[in-house]
Amino acid sequence: MKTINIQNLIHFITVIAFAILVSSFLLSCDDFLEPDDPFGQIPFQEIFEDEATATAAITTLYAKLRDDVFLTGNSSGLSVQMGLYADELDFYGMPWEPNFEIYQHLINATHSTVQTTWNKAYNLIYMANAAIEGLQGANAINENLKNQLQGEALFVRAFTHFNLMNLYGDIPYITTTNYMVNKNVSRLPQSQVFENILTDLIETKTLLEDNYIGPERTRANKPVISALMARILLYQGNWQEAEAESNSVINNTALYSLENQLENEFLVNSRSAILQFKPKNFGENTHEASTFIFGSVPPPYLALTNSLVNSFEENDLRKTQWITELSDGNQSWYHANKYKANTNTGMSVEYSIVIRLAELYLIRAEARAKQNNLSGALQDINTIRNRAGLNNTTATSQTEILQAILNERKWELFTEQGHRWFDIKRFEVAGQILAPIKPAWRETNILFPIPEADILLNPNLLPQNPGY
Amino acid sequence: MLPLTFSLLAQTPSTLEVNGQITDGASPIPGATVLIKGEQRGTVSDFNGRYSIAAKPNDTLVISYIGYATVEESVNNRTTINVVMKEDATTLREVVINAGYYSVKDRERTGSISRTTAEEIENQPVNNPLATMQGRMAGVDISETSGVPGSGFNIRIRGQNSIIAGNAPLYIIDGVPFDSQTMGYSDTSGAIIPGSNISPLNAINPSAIESIEVLKDADATAIYGSRGANGVVLITTKRGKEGKTRFNIQSATGIAHIAHRLKLLNTEQYLEMRREAFVNDGIEEYPFNAYDVNGTWDQNRYTDWQKELLGGQANLKQLQASISGGNKNTRFYLSGLYQNETTVFPGGFNYDRITTNSNISHKSSNDKFEVALNLGYTLEDNKLPNIDLSFTVPKLAPNAPALFDEEGNLNWENSSWTNPLSQLEAKYNSSSQNLFSSLAMGYQLNPELQVKITAGYGTSHLKDNNAFPHTMFNPAWGMNSSSSMIIFQENDKTSWIAEPQLHWSKKWKNNSLNLIVGSTFQKQTFDRYGLIGIGFPTDRFMHNLSAATTIIVTNENKIEYTTQSFFARLNYNLNDRLFFNLTGRRDGSSRFGPENKYGNFGAFGAAWLFSEELNFHWLDFGKLRSSFGITGNDQIGDYQYLHNFVINDDSYDDYIGLLPARLFNPNFKWEENKKWEVAVDLGFFQNKLSTTLAYYINRSSNQLIQNPLPGTTGFTGIQANLDALVENSGWEFEFSANIFRNNKFKWSTDINISIPKNKLLKFPGLENTTYNNLYVIGQSLSIVKLYELEGVNPETGLFEFVDYNNDGMITAVEDRQYIADFSPKFFGGLNNKLEYKNLSLNLFFQFMKRMGHNEYHLTNPVGTLSNQPVGVMDRWQAPGDQATMQRFTSGADPEAITAYTRFTQSSGAISDASFIRLKTLALNYLLYLNDHTTCKLSIQGQNLLTITSFKGSDPEQFNGYMPPLRRITLGMEIIF
Repeated sequence: MKTINIQNLIHFITVIAFAILVSSFLLSCDDFLEPDDPFGQIPFQEIFEDEATATAAITTLYAKLRDDVFLTGNSSGLSVQMGLYADELDFYGMPWEPNFEIYQHLINATHSTVQTTWNKAYNLIYMANAAIEGLQGANAINENLKNQLQGEALFVRAFTHFNLMNLYGDIPYITTTNYMVNKNVSRLPQSQVFENILTDLIETKTLLEDNYIGPERTRANKPVISALMARILLYQGNWQEAEAESNSVINNTALYSLENQLENEFLVNSRSAILQFKPKNFGENTHEASTFIFGSVPPPYLALTNSLVNSFEENDLRKTQWITELSDGNQSWYHANKYKANTNTGMSVEYSIVIRLAELYLIRAEARAKQNNLSGALQDINTIRNRAGLNNTTATSQTEILQAILNERKWELFTEQGHRWFDIKRFEVAGQILAPIKPAWRETNILFPIPEADILLNPNLLPQNPGY
Repeated sequence: MLPLTFSLLAQTPSTLEVNGQITDGASPIPGATVLIKGEQRGTVSDFNGRYSIAAKPNDTLVISYIGYATVEESVNNRTTINVVMKEDATTLREVVINAGYYSVKDRERTGSISRTTAEEIENQPVNNPLATMQGRMAGVDISETSGVPGSGFNIRIRGQNSIIAGNAPLYIIDGVPFDSQTMGYSDTSGAIIPGSNISPLNAINPSAIESIEVLKDADATAIYGSRGANGVVLITTKRGKEGKTRFNIQSATGIAHIAHRLKLLNTEQYLEMRREAFVNDGIEEYPFNAYDVNGTWDQNRYTDWQKELLGGQANLKQLQASISGGNKNTRFYLSGLYQNETTVFPGGFNYDRITTNSNISHKSSNDKFEVALNLGYTLEDNKLPNIDLSFTVPKLAPNAPALFDEEGNLNWENSSWTNPLSQLEAKYNSSSQNLFSSLAMGYQLNPELQVKITAGYGTSHLKDNNAFPHTMFNPAWGMNSSSSMIIFQENDKTSWIAEPQLHWSKKWKNNSLNLIVGSTFQKQTFDRYGLIGIGFPTDRFMHNLSAATTIIVTNENKIEYTTQSFFARLNYNLNDRLFFNLTGRRDGSSRFGPENKYGNFGAFGAAWLFSEELNFHWLDFGKLRSSFGITGNDQIGDYQYLHNFVINDDSYDDYIGLLPARLFNPNFKWEENKKWEVAVDLGFFQNKLSTTLAYYINRSSNQLIQNPLPGTTGFTGIQANLDALVENSGWEFEFSANIFRNNKFKWSTDINISIPKNKLLKFPGLENTTYNNLYVIGQSLSIVKLYELEGVNPETGLFEFVDYNNDGMITAVEDRQYIADFSPKFFGGLNNKLEYKNLSLNLFFQFMKRMGHNEYHLTNPVGTLSNQPVGVMDRWQAPGDQATMQRFTSGADPEAITAYTRFTQSSGAISDASFIRLKTLALNYLLYLNDHTTCKLSIQGQNLLTITSFKGSDPEQFNGYMPPLRRITLGMEIIF
């Protein structure tokens, strides 16, 4: 009888233990399926409650511009792609690379560059909008910092839309992260896009400080916005305001002056620099230097066109200091040498420049010329020419002066952010210049097509740009 | 005879020590059970069929073995009783098959389960359990991704169900889920292991496997709920058997090499091609970088680079031992393996593996309590080159320079080439440790009710690195150790599971009922981080990160995955003729948002033994079975529903990078997979012939997919359930026959054939998305859309393609409308087993019919500085020529380059890749050294012979990676 009792006891204990085991799991079941926050990820709501992460959400926008979107000096940025599209660069890479088709003007609505450029730009705009929305609800961070960060996000949003418009023409202006809205947006006429960009930038001015935060010129301040506005107003044809914004930067001699020596122009903290990108890692230099410089001939990837090199006037220091010639004995090739450090250095010596003072002089020259202030225009042109070791320009009439400005921009701003392409587009001479050298040139190449995949997903983007 | 003498002396008047041998008339039967009738006592025959048992003079011995008729022998004072057993195939249906949470007799099962056992597995000299299953199971399509040791396998059970989410089956080892997701990471292993898919299953020693069961239909898989959609692979490791302690020592040695090389141009043909290319391009003076033709390189030189760089022989060595045994209550099995194999690459690369497996089980003397513990531990050490040379070697010019200069240093031929051996200076090293354990405990409360709990714990660790010393670069570049670089990656995975269950069963006169209810709690964590170290004082310190000038953290991640489920099975057996099986599972997973954490799955299966009703003398067995049910798939990655920012390396101004992880959608849920099957199992002529014919239709809906969005949303898509439908249907046929047998000679054969069909039935809005370039409604998911080659234009000498939209241009999307379907049309295997006395021969053929990329797919434009298949010599040379290959170009003719690039993406770059392969040949000879010691000598071969019309290196794997190797080993096994 005793053994039976023990067995019953064992039964009893087992059943109880089992029941406890099962029920303890059941009670905790709701928690059990809620994993900890993934490592290396932060919930959206928490990002903007902390100054370091809120700032990081903004600095990442600069990092994207530096490495990936539009302003980058690598092969997917405007400097390379629009340099190839215009008359600045010749392509020596592999024929199956997308940039070969850019170079040959053989692009269509399914071209990978057309698609990825668009996608990357709107992804950056999404990030800027996410930051703007996150900062609006942020209470835990310092008000000044909050203003600074909001201003920088607006700056990136406006700048990115500006570049998109320059490539694609009429575009949607995106101001929310809500994909239900953004998947059905329509294109706005360029005049409206200009208005939206300027509205954003005017608000930005109220948010940013006059001085840079930190010792370097790597984050936007109020003069950066003025400089960008000067460029945008010029493109818009608003000469008077373009001149006014240029004035505010050029007259800010506490911060800016033209570097007298051309070789100092692209150095860290160059006094010409209005906005520079800080490299990712300590000791790194610019993407531009590694992209443009080559050490063997024929060039592996890119070289300056002979037409550009030969167009310089004699004794132009920009040709001797910013261009390097390599030869195999018979033939010569040239590369841009504005940025010279193509390897790491102990401390970074060069930062990639987004906006510099020389451009502001040329913007003001053009704005003045357009307003018939020819002497004022000449004064600005000659400031730039004299620094390059050239005599004053011989241009006198308004037409001649504008032509001189176009040339000066070519020599001053070559291989920088596609300035040349946007200039010949703006001066309406693209066809005249490119038809002889690009067999596939058509007038409609003035704009990129809207990516076909986007049109298929959102017919509100119709009509397609002419010619595609 | 010593043991016999001893036992005779030890006998008491009332007990005899009975000895004997159990045979089938010709060869011994090991593993047969010998019981004393009416008692619980018993033993098992050893490898020689010998047994010994203490019995009373008037006892009766009951000798039984699966597949043979049970024999009863009265002792009648005899001390030696030799037993000849007769085969009785009806008992084959009594085989108990593992179905995961329960096991079921083959004759009673309602679900679709394929099986392979140790006997077949042991004949194959391979490292990965998946390799042993190739071609042997209907409906299971397995291919090896590369011949490099450590690489993974592609496995599809009844086709691809999910468009984007995972299609891997669920693996269960000794009752515990085994995460088959690789821990490999592209930063380190991407260039040597295809897809960085380092197979975690390499941790399992095939020789330690008793059986592998694959669950295919709804009836068998629905109890695994959200993870059953892609099938379930159950691996059971070996156990100890009752009887005397057995020792088994095995050693094998062998070689492996690439079986087939591409037929490429020799120097003469190659230079002819190159010179003609320049002529075609109108270039008279060879440019400075045309080293092969401009005189820089010796034009009389010829090297067969495939032979030189990939033609090596890998040496295989392995040693393993096991001890097993036990008594009625406690059994054990211990095994260990050491293995080393080198690679076919030049240089000292090798793969090392040590695995141990142990299993101990105990049953209380009242048979109520049972416990079983399984432990497996594996160490792997893999030293490989950083890159699989298989891609570059076929492109090397045949007159490229010598590998070494006169002083024995790497020859760079004045910087005119990249010495391929320099690639081998960069080395990949990995070491991994893997522990998996499982514990099962049960207690029989009363004859009907058992409580049971299974628990498992597993951890695996993979640490690998890629070292790029500066010596891999041309010394002319003047690099030194300050540019040497090493990439480290470390991964850890830990998981535990607990599954409390209640098993209840009751038998009445004509029927019986089985019920299982249980729940599952599982948690898995995965940690990963990676570092790069750049710049070292000397290369000797490269593996020492503290010596690096720069250290960068490339990634750091931690992922948690939890599931919580409740499951049940109700099985009803009526009259031993009708069987009903109802299974269900409610599954919760951390991979889904708050609203969708749970999903319900279930299936109903039934079987009818119609042969019992018919009583045809030639039909021994006839069963009709069918099942229907719903399973799910949650292989979509973790945390996809959260609105999070991720830290990345887009740092700026001393701040880290923070990026939005995704457009978030908290509302997505499981993929659903509805399965239906009907099958008939038949046995004829005393079950000498048996066959199964099955037809199935599986439909997967709620496809988890990146729903495409226009770029203006900031992203190209959002994770959501799309109302797309994928159908897998097919026929499966299995047949086995005992063709011939007498006392000396036996021949049996098994055949399996699968005819699968994969079809995309529905994909709303397909034409508006980029998926349009990948899929077509009504076609399989394995299609590729290609240009359609029209041939070489006799006037221009260029390839021409069909202009589908008639716009006068060939464009990337519109004119890629030729559909090539790479999914198999049919596949299967044919196994033949022949035995003559002590000699046995196993011949296994695998076959498959399908299309694949041919030898041109990965070539560079013809005529450029790159070697080509010999077929290119049938080329266009002058207007009017009819040729299969377009005119050569040196690279200066953009039109020819474009046409050739399209050709590699056209119908011209695919071919029939069907094959019949002698997958396994095993010749075993048994030598009975004495009564208790057996020696088995064997020669085993894998991938010995391939019959195919395929143009390319290997029809099984045509993506440019190293093909599966031919392996031949000699082995010796001693059992005592």
